[in-house]
Amino acid sequence: MRTLNFAGRNIKELVRDPLSIIFSLALPLFLLFIFKQINIPSPSYALDNFTPGIIVFSFSFVSMFTAILIAKDRSTSFLTRLAVSPMKPHEYVSGYVLALLPPVCVQVVAVLALALILGLKPPWGVLLALPVALVISLPFIALGILFGSITNEKAASGVSSIVVQLVSFTSGMYFDRSLVGDGFAVVCEVLPFESALTLLKAALNLDLSVIEPRNIIVFCAYTVAFFVLSVVLFNKNMSKGK
Amino acid sequence: MTAIKTQGLTKKYKDVVAVSDLSLEIDEGEIFALLGVNGAGKTTTIKMLSTLIPPSSGKAEIFGMDAVKDKDAIRPLMGVSPQETAVAPALTVKENLEFMAGVYGVNGKSATDELIERFGLSEVLGRKAKTLSGGWQRKLSLALALVNSPRLLFLDEPTLGLDVLARRQLWKEVESLKSKTTILLTTHYIEEAESLATKVAMLNKGKLAAAGTVDELKEKYGAASLEEAFVAAARGGDENANA
Ligand SMILES: Nc1ncnc2c1ncn2[C@@H]1O[C@H](COP(=O)(O)OP(=O)(O)OP(=O)(O)O)[C@@H](O)[C@H]1O
Ligand SMILES: [Mg+2]
Repeated sequence: MRTLNFAGRNIKELVRDPLSIIFSLALPLFLLFIFKQINIPSPSYALDNFTPGIIVFSFSFVSMFTAILIAKDRSTSFLTRLAVSPMKPHEYVSGYVLALLPPVCVQVVAVLALALILGLKPPWGVLLALPVALVISLPFIALGILFGSITNEKAASGVSSIVVQLVSFTSGMYFDRSLVGDGFAVVCEVLPFESALTLLKAALNLDLSVIEPRNIIVFCAYTVAFFVLSVVLFNKNMSKGK
Repeated sequence: MTAIKTQGLTKKYKDVVAVSDLSLEIDEGEIFALLGVNGAGKTTTIKMLSTLIPPSSGKAEIFGMDAVKDKDAIRPLMGVSPQETAVAPALTVKENLEFMAGVYGVNGKSATDELIERFGLSEVLGRKAKTLSGGWQRKLSLALALVNSPRLLFLDEPTLGLDVLARRQLWKEVESLKSKTTILLTTHYIEEAESLATKVAMLNKGKLAAAGTVDELKEKYGAASLEEAFVAAARGGDENANA
């Protein structure tokens, strides 16, 4: 109950300052549309590859506006008030996550809808891709909470743009990582973004054979780690924003 | 019954001792004012008593419960109005009240209706908190601290930035709570302590300089007014050094 109450407040806070949400919705749609028009002759940019890439890319913006929301909350005494209320440590983080899932859902549906309009085949994959995408968004939300817990409002967007860069370069959305050498490939495998993209791609293309066990292990390990860290750091810093 | 009891309560930050060896006892039903110049340690004291931060040493008991170990049991019983107004900026006044009712799991409607009436919030009910004037934000911040009908209320400079009328209005509110609620407040307005408080404590550089009723303090410092007693207490160390 308290979690839902807090989530409701967070949604209002997000929706009433909608600039960042609109941006993180418009940019991926724009990219998907433009790259389709340019028609680059590389399989990376075929709709079945690029659509899940764009979705994972858009999640890096979810990290960013999550971080901004939380850094902003910490800069006011509002969280100080909550810190001495009966709210429990995990309720804050679940309240933030619940508030972010609706905008994430809108984002995914919009990208998938545009991909269908542009001619995505087979079309049925979107039905599996939507729930899988929501799961894939979880570590991104947790990462946002984590960054928002350790940065101030100004630094939050800068620090979270690291996620945007990492997704661009290590997820394999723009180029195949086999093109850039073994060392870099290891980096991609160790970070969670390539695994996240592989899982989503498999769902969208209804082809589970591309998933390797390490994809699932890496993705789950990072998700759990990000959540544990975000709960710990948020509670440590929630009333120390100034 | 004793509402608050501290023994040797101390808070150290890296190179500052914010509160030093504070021992206090506050009975239930009291309005207790904490006076002291900027940086004297008032807010830090409230933070420790309201379970926000643990003391570096010493202990505090709230209704006989330990402020560190038993904080889950203490929190539902108390309300806090922090020094900076603490409201959710994008929520309306009404949504702020309903949200806090949800946090404490109290019946939103009856709790908020009474507070709206009492603080005259009906004229700003639909406005977002961030668009309110400082005084209105403060009133809202205070109302939010009362949502759970607390047995113990911490008010850190509750009338900062309020105009004379609003301040008097607030004094009336605070007084009307007296029978049911123990109140610990800090203020820089001596006349506020004088007219509201049943007991006053003066902090000087984190240490308790004196505590007692207004009359006891005047007597202790041979002062004609509480303000004079306060000045004497605040200068305490230096004057003795000069004498
Ligand atoms: N988080 C902190 N880190 C380091 N020092 C701190 C911290 N909080 C407070 N202090 C220091 O502790 C001392 C007491 O501060 P406190 O805020 O309790 O004073 P105060 O009596 O409330 O002052 P004011 O009337 O200005 O509100 C000050 O010297 C302050 O700089
Ligand atoms: Mg203070």
